[in-house]
Amino acid sequence: MSEPPREPVRYVEADLALPYHYVAGDYRARYLRALADKRILGSRCRKTGKVFVPPVVVAPDVFEPADEFVEVADRGVVTTFCIVNIPVYGRDIEIPYVAASVALDGADLSIFALVREVEPEEVRMGMRVEAVWKPDGERRGDYTDIQYFRPTGEPDAPPETFLHRL
Amino acid sequence: MGERNRTADRVEPLRQDLVLAFPYKHSTGETIGRFLAGLKEQKKIWGRRVSGLGVVVPPVDYSEVDASPAREWVEVADTGTVTACAVVHRPIEGLHPFPHPFAYVLVRLDGADTALAHVVRDGLQRLRVGARVRAVWAPDGERKGTIRDIVCFEVLES
Repeated sequence: MSEPPREPVRYVEADLALPYHYVAGDYRARYLRALADKRILGSRCRKTGKVFVPPVVVAPDVFEPADEFVEVADRGVVTTFCIVNIPVYGRDIEIPYVAASVALDGADLSIFALVREVEPEEVRMGMRVEAVWKPDGERRGDYTDIQYFRPTGEPDAPPETFLHRL
Repeated sequence: MGERNRTADRVEPLRQDLVLAFPYKHSTGETIGRFLAGLKEQKKIWGRRVSGLGVVVPPVDYSEVDASPAREWVEVADTGTVTACAVVHRPIEGLHPFPHPFAYVLVRLDGADTALAHVVRDGLQRLRVGARVRAVWAPDGERKGTIRDIVCFEVLES
């Protein structure tokens, strides 16, 4: 035979898998363990008083210790968000869904969160939301202990109260 | 209210084992598609004759020298000569093809003018630039039309 087969192989499939060990460290371990008790911990900067959630050892803006642990609320305000319309492999959430930054009451930075129990097109900057926790006995001290956030129905927060906390 | 952190308060670190997975489905195109079909169905390695480059393996569509289309298909041998090698002493699970030390090699197959990238699994102590190697094929019925239909290259006795 003087040629390869006429009918080509159309595609090849391959799996690349990278196993790794995530070690939370001191502050992040405290943060995760507190979630099991429905508590959200931050750390307050000695110099500026800013509260970081999750807690950080050193404030990244002024390089000062942020070693005072404080509890923040499990409710806050949507500072920014996007509506996800493309499914992400390995993420089993029905599209469209809303991925948002939520600034918790008492925190000076926002955390990443899902916003549900609302039509995506109704989500807006300034919307007040509250955490929906996993039931007692099911929380394990990880990020999924907060399942998502949902609107509280309170009036929207004015922009000047959250635009510096994106 | 808040509490200052002291070293004595430190908690046991949490650790979690995770796997980051990237599944690929790569469209091969006509030329590489026929090259792979040759591996799967014929246990043959095909190159194409290209202006200014000789026999190129794996095959290409056109010459990088003068942009002319590639000419006829040429079957090359499944034996060849190592032109470069790099031993991986500590393979990473999921990333590398073998769990034990192996080598990435460039092999210029007999009849070809370019080198094919592949792996050598055994006999690393005999592996060097210039070593003679032969393809180890996956058995009939187990070849899937990928470059891993050649499982690896084995170093031949010199």
